[in-house]
Amino acid sequence: MNSKSKTAFILLCILPTLIIFGVFIVYPVTQVFYKSLFSSSGFGGGGEIFIGLDNFKELFTDEIFLKSLKNTGFLMVVVPTITLFLSLVFASILSFGNLREKHLYRTIFFFPSILSFVVIGILWSFIYHPNMGIINEVLTWMGLNQYALVWLGSKDTVLWAIALVMVWQAVGYYMVMYLAGMDGVPKELYEAASMDGANVVQQFFKITIPMLWEIIRITIIFSINGVLNISFVLVIVMTAGGPNNSSQVALTYMYKQAFVNANFGYAMAIAVIVFLVSLILSLISNKLTERETH
Amino acid sequence: MKSISRKLIVLFAALALLLAACSNDKDSSKDGNKDKDKAGDKTDSQELEVAVFQGGYGDAYWKEIAKMFEEANPGTTVNITANPDIGELIRPKIIAGTPPDVVYLNQTDPSGVTQGLIKEEGFLELTDLFEENALNEDVALKDKILPGILESVYMSPYGDEKIYMAPYNYNVMGLWYNKTLFDEEGIEIPKTWDDFFALNEVAKEHDRALFTYQGASPGYIEEILIPAVYSLGGQESLDQMLTYDPEFWKSDVALDALAIVEEIATTENALMNGTVALDHTQSQTSFMQGDSMFIPNGNWFEGEMEEAPREEGFEFGFLGVPAFDANDPLLALTSVEQMYIPKAAANPELAKEFLKFLYTEESVKLNGEFAKAAMAVDGASDLVKEYLTESSYNVYKAVESGMYAMSGNFAPVPTGVNVEPREVLFDQVASVMNKEMTKEEWADKMYEVYTKVAEKLE
Repeated sequence: MNSKSKTAFILLCILPTLIIFGVFIVYPVTQVFYKSLFSSSGFGGGGEIFIGLDNFKELFTDEIFLKSLKNTGFLMVVVPTITLFLSLVFASILSFGNLREKHLYRTIFFFPSILSFVVIGILWSFIYHPNMGIINEVLTWMGLNQYALVWLGSKDTVLWAIALVMVWQAVGYYMVMYLAGMDGVPKELYEAASMDGANVVQQFFKITIPMLWEIIRITIIFSINGVLNISFVLVIVMTAGGPNNSSQVALTYMYKQAFVNANFGYAMAIAVIVFLVSLILSLISNKLTERETH
Repeated sequence: MKSISRKLIVLFAALALLLAACSNDKDSSKDGNKDKDKAGDKTDSQELEVAVFQGGYGDAYWKEIAKMFEEANPGTTVNITANPDIGELIRPKIIAGTPPDVVYLNQTDPSGVTQGLIKEEGFLELTDLFEENALNEDVALKDKILPGILESVYMSPYGDEKIYMAPYNYNVMGLWYNKTLFDEEGIEIPKTWDDFFALNEVAKEHDRALFTYQGASPGYIEEILIPAVYSLGGQESLDQMLTYDPEFWKSDVALDALAIVEEIATTENALMNGTVALDHTQSQTSFMQGDSMFIPNGNWFEGEMEEAPREEGFEFGFLGVPAFDANDPLLALTSVEQMYIPKAAANPELAKEFLKFLYTEESVKLNGEFAKAAMAVDGASDLVKEYLTESSYNVYKAVESGMYAMSGNFAPVPTGVNVEPREVLFDQVASVMNKEMTKEEWADKMYEVYTKVAEKLE
């Protein structure tokens, strides 16, 4: 085949994907930006009014939106940090430790990852149940009544409660990724290090983490994006954004404005901000982690 | 090479066809709209698409009534689509311009479809339908409907006396208690809010809290707050609140009504532990298990919680809502389930006939039998008495004999307002219950929101 026909063949092969990508990704995303300039109910009637940047102006005085953005930011920082750290620790214990029940632990840790998020949400809302949930039952049984809080009903605890569920859900998944990466780290490095007198903790920070850095970089971005997605489902199932919007995240607020309150244009403005924030975050984390490799 | 380019052409052709099919769809629906006046006379297109919300009242009634309508009108076909998420199912059809002909879906549905259509003014006007005589009767249809309902903001959402929605069942809401407990222990039911709070001592004796509510759905507090505002300030104050007059929140009426919530929050043992975090099923179950004396809910309560565990001897008792003045009767909040014909419906004439058919006596009885509910039609509760749960019948009866039933629905928010005042109002309940907010701060917050809405209303 000559090069011309080769190009044609390649074009033909990627055409279906390109079309699907165009119709289902590029087109909707451009529409998000366009629709955010309108006041509309989203029902396609005659009610669309062009209002320029008014939606955005209002957004930054909307305290529920600011609160939801803050909550999303909190989860984006706290959840990946704890999740990835724990995953790394568990993975290295399972990989280098001499535990006989290794395979059992691996299965148990991975188990939450195959459960549906809705199931997880319902499960944990019963674990957190103020009067009959296992957490408060155990605390009361130990005589720690004053610590048996209304976990999902207080503005001070609700976000941590949700963050814990997200960590629990994701640790096993990233652990398996790290385990796979650790198999590729040459054993000689550890042998040499222990001969030089490095202890386990030093080995972890000086060998394991640098050798896995490429994988860690990817998982950081995965994890931050995952927070955006998963927090939506968990918040809808567990708290519906309550109490008084204390657990509202950007996506639940967007959903509520778009489909419950029929403020479609306003919701699209929220979507634009979320899009920009996650884009910037991904770029930043990419840049930060890149520099550290050198 | 020829074969590849040929394939490419075929592919493009297929794509073009696909796109054409999509756009054709739109065109044909537009044509359909233009022809809709003619469609009524045509006998060949007598097909009716009916979309119904499948909630506490089920869908059995709709399937039966569809059969009856088909028999009474030979040559017609009625397709019923029932689903708990019917809003999500019909949303794409509405956006594409091919909505169902008849929809039963409440404004408060979480899908927001009906709410959106109200903003969009997307309904067929039904005023003439209710002016006409009822099917096979000599009375105007509007005179068969319970008084006050057609004029309410449920059915005439724009305040211009034009009816856009048709009433289906009507609901009565208020506080509930365990009848067995009250009867056996000789506890008197509270007539005023003072009586209510005095019962806190009795509640303590019986090892339960005074009150709980559906924490994660604070909108249920409406069933207390709206009657309370009415009891304090009459219809005038209530209208101020429901039509977004900011000054309402500066009034004593508002503060005294909000004080009920604050008092529940600050009185020891008044609020059941953990209430704020519970969803409606969890809190209602706790109530039935004897953790709380009172809970707000509607006449569907017994049917809704059929399977739920309960304390021994539990029996549903409907209190209504206490008044502020001992000489006033107990109050109850009513609401009406909404049905409508979307503007772009393909077969509006037949849809109207179908709606008319729903208000016949046979239909009301059928609804009682299968949905266990009373339609908003005069005398309906007695027509369907044998089918109702006991507590449900008692609720309807209580309203007909002395209890003051009032309806209160927030007016639609003008377009361009991105806050939902009703939602803001009840979102704050959690903060007040957690003692993070006082009633004054609550009222100030509402003043702010109402001012924003009022600006756009002008």
